[in-house]
Amino acid sequence: MSRLGKKSPSVCTDLPLNNTDVCNKMQLLKQLLSSCFGPTGRLKQVHNNIGGSVVTTSASSVLLAAFSSTNPFINLIKTSILNHVSRFSDCGLFAGIFCLSLIEQVKRCDLRESLAIRVNKHLLSLCTSYLQQDDCGCKVKLDFCSSQNLITLARSVISSKPACVLTEPEKSHMSQLAVRAFLLSVPCSSPGTVTLGKVVTVTIEGHSVLNSAVFPGLLLDIPDDFSPNQAEFPFALRVAVFSTSLGGDLSELGDGIIEMGPGVDTDVHILDQLLELGQQIVKDGVRFFVCQKVIHPVLQQYLRSHNVIVVERLGIGAMEPLIQLTGAQPMATLHTANPSKAYGKVRDLNIRRFGSKTMLHLHPLGESTICTLVICHRNETMLNELKVVCQTAEHVLKLTLKDPAAFLGGGCTETHLAAYVRHKSNDGVPGTASVLGCTQTEYLLGVEVFCRSLDLVAGALVHDGGTSLIDLTHAHYWTLPADAMKEHMEDTLGMCGCGLVISPGKRWTHLNAKYTQFHPAPVSGDISVQPQVLDSFTAKLSALQVAVETANLALDVKYIIEDVN
Amino acid sequence: MLGTSILNQRRHVGLQKLSALAAVSHSTLGPNKKFKFLQDDSTGESGLVCTCFRILESLELTCAVGQLVYEILQAHHRVHHTGSGCLLFLAGAWSQVALDCLQKGVSVTHLISALSEGLDVCVDVFRKCSISTEGLLVQCVRDSSNMEERRKIKLSRHFCESESLDIEHIAAGLSHSCEDAMKLVVDAVRMQQDTGCCQFDVTKMLACVLPGLPEERACVVHGYVVLLPSEQASVAHHLNDQQLRVAVINGDLSHTYRHLGFRRPAGVQRVSDELELSRPSEEDEWVERVLKLLLKLEVNLMLVSGHASERMMELCCRHRILIVEKIKVSVLKTMANSLGVVLVTYATQLSKHSVGSGVTVHIWGDVIGPKTAVNISTSAMSGLVTAIITSTVHGKLQVLEDRFWACAYRLHHTLTDGAVLPGAGATELLCVHHLKNHVENSSHVRGTKASVVNLYRSDVLDLMADSLINYISTLMVNSGNFSKVRARTLVSQQLLNHNSNPGNIAELSRLFCEAVKEGSEEKGQAAATVYDNLSVKQEAWRRALDLVFLVLQTDAEVITGMEQKTEVTQERLML
Repeated sequence: MSRLGKKSPSVCTDLPLNNTDVCNKMQLLKQLLSSCFGPTGRLKQVHNNIGGSVVTTSASSVLLAAFSSTNPFINLIKTSILNHVSRFSDCGLFAGIFCLSLIEQVKRCDLRESLAIRVNKHLLSLCTSYLQQDDCGCKVKLDFCSSQNLITLARSVISSKPACVLTEPEKSHMSQLAVRAFLLSVPCSSPGTVTLGKVVTVTIEGHSVLNSAVFPGLLLDIPDDFSPNQAEFPFALRVAVFSTSLGGDLSELGDGIIEMGPGVDTDVHILDQLLELGQQIVKDGVRFFVCQKVIHPVLQQYLRSHNVIVVERLGIGAMEPLIQLTGAQPMATLHTANPSKAYGKVRDLNIRRFGSKTMLHLHPLGESTICTLVICHRNETMLNELKVVCQTAEHVLKLTLKDPAAFLGGGCTETHLAAYVRHKSNDGVPGTASVLGCTQTEYLLGVEVFCRSLDLVAGALVHDGGTSLIDLTHAHYWTLPADAMKEHMEDTLGMCGCGLVISPGKRWTHLNAKYTQFHPAPVSGDISVQPQVLDSFTAKLSALQVAVETANLALDVKYIIEDVN
Repeated sequence: MLGTSILNQRRHVGLQKLSALAAVSHSTLGPNKKFKFLQDDSTGESGLVCTCFRILESLELTCAVGQLVYEILQAHHRVHHTGSGCLLFLAGAWSQVALDCLQKGVSVTHLISALSEGLDVCVDVFRKCSISTEGLLVQCVRDSSNMEERRKIKLSRHFCESESLDIEHIAAGLSHSCEDAMKLVVDAVRMQQDTGCCQFDVTKMLACVLPGLPEERACVVHGYVVLLPSEQASVAHHLNDQQLRVAVINGDLSHTYRHLGFRRPAGVQRVSDELELSRPSEEDEWVERVLKLLLKLEVNLMLVSGHASERMMELCCRHRILIVEKIKVSVLKTMANSLGVVLVTYATQLSKHSVGSGVTVHIWGDVIGPKTAVNISTSAMSGLVTAIITSTVHGKLQVLEDRFWACAYRLHHTLTDGAVLPGAGATELLCVHHLKNHVENSSHVRGTKASVVNLYRSDVLDLMADSLINYISTLMVNSGNFSKVRARTLVSQQLLNHNSNPGNIAELSRLFCEAVKEGSEEKGQAAATVYDNLSVKQEAWRRALDLVFLVLQTDAEVITGMEQKTEVTQERLML
């Protein structure tokens, strides 16, 4: 007998950001994200407590997706970041660290929340308009005539996750592949609206990264023993694509009760229909027959005996690129009256083998923007992370078509932007303060909170106890290893985070020390020096906005009302 | 609602765990492997194991590092089938190197770049000291005292046979003291070569374990050997040594069977206006139909990947049609290819195109318990060979089978690599030598800039070299003739010798082999040269370093799905 328990009343917490438990949790999340940040970031082993598989990662998309928390703030920030990452793939950690730093700094400086929100909004618009200007000092224009900057951009993404365990040649190889795949997905000659193609990613475990490759066209997974009845395929094969199951079952009917008379054998009946379909296919001269789901073995045997190449169980993921490549219409029923319009074409087929894995390579008849990136690595853990970064790189490259620019990476954009904001907001303090409805001191404190949070993000790149520095000319970011000897400082520093500025003749200060504001000079255009680390323009700009807006939302929360039943 | 807890790893617990787990591998290295008992407390069953991979497979590793270790070992084993012990040993040794360096204050970044550099030095050594298999034949002829005679043999024989002579020498070097297993492999290779294709195809090799027979009865036969229960065995007796007509079925032989991916309709109701009793059952109808078809096609043998229904089996036995169930799909496919028949899923699909002829069934040897071993072979050259592995000790069969496969794959990798490495610790010794040299050479280049980095690097490389010395001396200790101290002394002596007289890398392996032989009966014979696999060693070392890197760079464990009430400790924080 069940008993009805008395419902507990809802619990209301006021001023949740003053609650130590809430603050501790946010600090923990910040530590967790900061420690993952950058190419020397630390990894996290994610698993459940019942002995499930272990994922080793430092990617925000993988890490945050696994989290669950009872704390609404943590969930708010998590959701914001995941939403950003699902749209732009990159800069998730940046968004998280910046957002959490902002909240933390506001609380630490005892700034009124409502005021902090207004100052943050003001500074965000200052930042976004500066970053979009042509003379923005922490941005480079991307030149599509040369692949150098594109490769640098891809390389920066690929190098940023140490769980990929890549050597330098492997990093170069993968970044070149990412750029090649991107270029293959851009149509060459199509007037009017440009439709981007698709990069299909295939992973193969157990092989060296250097065996990874990119192929124009589509590679389909097929069984190891796939042996087409002929060695050579004819030119321009006719293709039929089915999205419905051809397994001979009644799956199309859905739920419900079917009444059948004695002696009725549905299996035989459907099989007859399938064979009729097979006859039609053979009559129509189809030479390549693909089904998303299962094909009845008898139909397969029939088709094969008539020299049709059969591929079943393609999976939903490969359907869209297949349809794009072949121009076929996926058939969703056995009863199509006149399917000949639905047939597509491929130029030819061949078989590729990667170790024990066999794949069927489909070449398009005309120009096509479908290509396949085959990623190999020695084990599953590293392969999974490599797949994540390759897909991020590909997405980031695609975004450059919209905004052909990139930010200087390695922390330089953050420190430069902070220096710019400090400098810019120094002009006309009384005016801005009165517009924002606060005192000048409060306004300047708000600016400091914002800028220090930006600096903190750059500082999060250091994990081995090194010192973060900023130069007083360009406001780029520098790191001094913990074990460096002071007398050789200039030699040890070498170059700044993004690689655009070299050390001789610079003055530095510690990142967390207060420096007199100055106008950060853009690096003069010496073409021989190219940045070595670049960040996605579109992704970072969005991340900046997401971080500030999420922080403002969190700062605006006055009560949490929880149903504890 | 469930939360997430975070376990911060202070003092690099992960590396300590890895290092501790790797201790399992120590006793599995070297030529004289010791057996270990595995006991299942719940069932009271026990078995013997002697490879690192099998031990890890049976340990239920719940910790995150343990799972990662197993994942990487499994990935290695799946491709290479040998070298797991070496992988785990080095992962443990190098995680100890990492721990030592971290304690000295070397940063993770420096550590990673230095360890990678060390591995590059070693891989370079592999490249330089690898011996091409083509060169080996020449060397082996040169070594032999009666060169003239050898040459005669070589010239008088068919080309194919001279190559098999070559294989025998290499195989001896690759046996790593599992001579019996390697003998089976060599016999299998010979047999495959005799069938026409002058190549060795490990995918067409099979192993069949027969308990209850003495180990000397192990042998290799053409075709596929399977154990049949008495009912089917009696049919096999009738068909013994006759040319049979065969059908090959990829699926179950039963009326309820449907192909993979078939969805049975839910909610089907049969409506009937007569009593079902008067009608024959569906199964009877199906069995009758299939049997009729089989008789019409004159099939005597059915090779099935799934199982056959009792009714079908009974009827077929009565009609002297032999059904062999549960055959590996890869074997079925090889058989079907060599017979030129199509593999079908349903027995009702059979037609004259899917029935082949030229298969014989041969009763092999004795009756083993209630089952009879039957050899199914095709007269066409399928290349399938089966190694029959026997032992009177049931628990030892797995070990013997593992050894057979390890030998088979060592030979397979050698032929695909086209090269081998000097074994018995010689390659490792060379690596030690080069690592130490590398430290000295690079410390001469004393730039003001990188001197600190250099200092760390030499520390790391030195420790890496030490871990390899530890590897070699563990091999020697496991051979049973050396104490740890004596082994280390010998290794350092060899290193000194090598420094003064480079090019004499065979010395250590000679010494080593002789010492191993001392323990065995064949004292008089000269020790054979020992070889290791090039690609396997390279991959195992690289994967060992992967493991160390992944664990070294991990600073926290995120455990999802935790109850909120879980005690929050200092290390364990709830998000």
